[in-house]
Amino acid sequence: MSDTQQTVYLVEDDEAVRDSLELLLKSEGRTVASFESANAFLKDYSEAMAGCIVLDIRMPGMDGLELQKKLNELHSILPIIFVTGHGDVPMAVDAMKEGAVDFIQKPYREEALLEKIEAALKQDLEQRKTLGEKQEILRRVNTLTPRESEIMERMIAGQANKVIAIELEISQRTVEIHRSRVMHKMGTHSLAHLVRMVLSVKDRIDAR
Amino acid sequence: MGSNSMSEQVCASVEPTVLLVDDNPQNLKVLYETLKDKGYRLLIANDGAKALTLAQRDRPEVILLDIMMPELDGYQVCERLKADPATADSAVVFLSALDDVEAKVKGFSLGGADYISKPFQAAEVIARVKTHARVIRLERQLQQRNRQLESDQSRILNAISEGIYGLDADGNIIFANPAAERIAGSSAEALVGRNFFQLHFNQDCDCDDSQDAEDTPVKATCNLGLPEHRRDITMFRADGTGFPAEYRSSPKLEGDELLGAVVVFRDITVELEQESELEAARELVQEQREQLAHASRLSTIGEMAAGFAHEVNQPLTAISNYARVANRLMGADSLDQELLGETLGKIEAQSLRASEVIRRIRQFVKKPAAGKEVVSVETLLDDTRQFAEVDARNNEGGVEITIADDVPNVLVDPVQVQQVALNLIRNALEATRAAGSTAPVRVLAERSGDRCVRVEVIDRGVGLPADAEEKLFLPFFTTKPDGMGIGLPMCQSLIQAQGGEIGFQRPEQGGTCFYFTLPLAEVTQPVA
Repeated sequence: MSDTQQTVYLVEDDEAVRDSLELLLKSEGRTVASFESANAFLKDYSEAMAGCIVLDIRMPGMDGLELQKKLNELHSILPIIFVTGHGDVPMAVDAMKEGAVDFIQKPYREEALLEKIEAALKQDLEQRKTLGEKQEILRRVNTLTPRESEIMERMIAGQANKVIAIELEISQRTVEIHRSRVMHKMGTHSLAHLVRMVLSVKDRIDAR
Repeated sequence: MGSNSMSEQVCASVEPTVLLVDDNPQNLKVLYETLKDKGYRLLIANDGAKALTLAQRDRPEVILLDIMMPELDGYQVCERLKADPATADSAVVFLSALDDVEAKVKGFSLGGADYISKPFQAAEVIARVKTHARVIRLERQLQQRNRQLESDQSRILNAISEGIYGLDADGNIIFANPAAERIAGSSAEALVGRNFFQLHFNQDCDCDDSQDAEDTPVKATCNLGLPEHRRDITMFRADGTGFPAEYRSSPKLEGDELLGAVVVFRDITVELEQESELEAARELVQEQREQLAHASRLSTIGEMAAGFAHEVNQPLTAISNYARVANRLMGADSLDQELLGETLGKIEAQSLRASEVIRRIRQFVKKPAAGKEVVSVETLLDDTRQFAEVDARNNEGGVEITIADDVPNVLVDPVQVQQVALNLIRNALEATRAAGSTAPVRVLAERSGDRCVRVEVIDRGVGLPADAEEKLFLPFFTTKPDGMGIGLPMCQSLIQAQGGEIGFQRPEQGGTCFYFTLPLAEVTQPVA
């Protein structure tokens, strides 16, 4: 998961703008993939894509905002930089509300765009790292037996071993054995760490 | 004049009067008995003096006049009758025993109409009187009719506001009506006898051989019998001042002989002033229409400003990206000349693209309109489509132009027609969007008849309201929430200025079809 694997996805209907930007980014050493329409991009989209999208907000057919909505529905985490025209500020505001990273108004200074792309790629990297961590936590949570899960929930809720034993009508010793297995499977020695890990993926667990 | 013609009318309807003149009572009695109860009013005189008095008083149609009378004899009476206009028209029939040629000839030479020899044959007297009474009566009726016609004519000539001259073949004035007096500033007496060309055109009438004799008004009518009509020429009044005039001249012909000309003319000073005022008003209207059209184009450009900014920003963005790339290539360790050249070429192409957008805008807002030119319909509509697509970017369907093969060039002001087409296409795009449709706006051009090209702009939008027929082209009527109601009346005025028509139809499949026609550059005959 290094920089070089990240791609800048250009979605721009104007051939000259697309071509010149692609050339510019390539000269900066970026990996670039260009699309002439929102539909063309959607056709190629996969969750495995890493990098960011530079998206023209005004396009014939599906426009930038519509593409953003579609990607949100697909749980895409690719950061989007909207490229807007002079009169498109209200559209840009909508885009930001929908979670766009940033927008840049045409005509722009290349430095400004390159900086924004830089920032977006960094954000993507972090998001992807976090996402990786979360997926690891979930993978570990999935290895727990039902009894272990039950006991982990009570541990996180702050219940003492004794209380758990009484409520589950099992011996305190048994609770201790389960508890040490949970800590082992989740790969931690600290209850505080466990709590943080589980809370970070709590929405995913609840969703199941 | 009324009473005069009335009495003559009455006279014409009553029985003819016959005056019997003889110094011999026996003769008078015989004549009286002969003509009595034959439908005449009979008067009797036994001497010449009495006869003259009665003739003046009663204006008899026929006078039976004895030659041999004491004091005034028949010849003398006849002479006096003929000398007095009041009695000159009576038919004098001499009566005499003298039956010789000399007497007859003398009688005729004095104006006698006929001769009856004594002793009278009753049948002859009756027959001759009857004939002469009828002739005189008809003559009198004819004269009366002539007098009436003459007075009608002179009333007309007097009443007419145009000046009328009668000219002889040399251009001398032989008649002038009161209006001619008024316009020429002189009396008819002073005008008659003067030369028309000298008086009114300071022309020497004798210069027949000179070139400008041909050019002098009315000369061709006088000399060659050609009718003329000219307007806005300068004529001079009697006092030498000039005035603008219009005239018509017709030859006066008798058989093949050219007798001169009749000239009808008038002073058109006031007319010309009114015409120039009218022309000024027309120009003002034209100017205002052009100003309004220009303002409307500016407003259209204003509405499309975001679109145009985009159109210009696209190439500018590309240029700046390419420039950065070029910069980088220059800084690289080994110079990729080929890529650099290619990139610089792209910069050039994009700057041309930007200036093309700006050229098109400038062309569109140019003022005033350049005037009519011969234009290709395809170029015109294609330019307009490129313009409209600034707006159409968010419309999936876009604009589709179909031009029939045989569409000839048109003679129009291209900017104004483009303005109309753009207006209709933008309306159509808006209607399509409002209906949530993705159907393209269709623009069709085809030849219509042998005089014009018809352009249709068809959308599959929401269609027009039911009352559109009455209101659509009225100013300030609009079906759009933020419309001003200026666009269509403006289109109508612009199309009418091209000599075309504009209107709309409701297609069966829904939506709206607006059409307008443009006149062909050359009106050609339809192919047989």
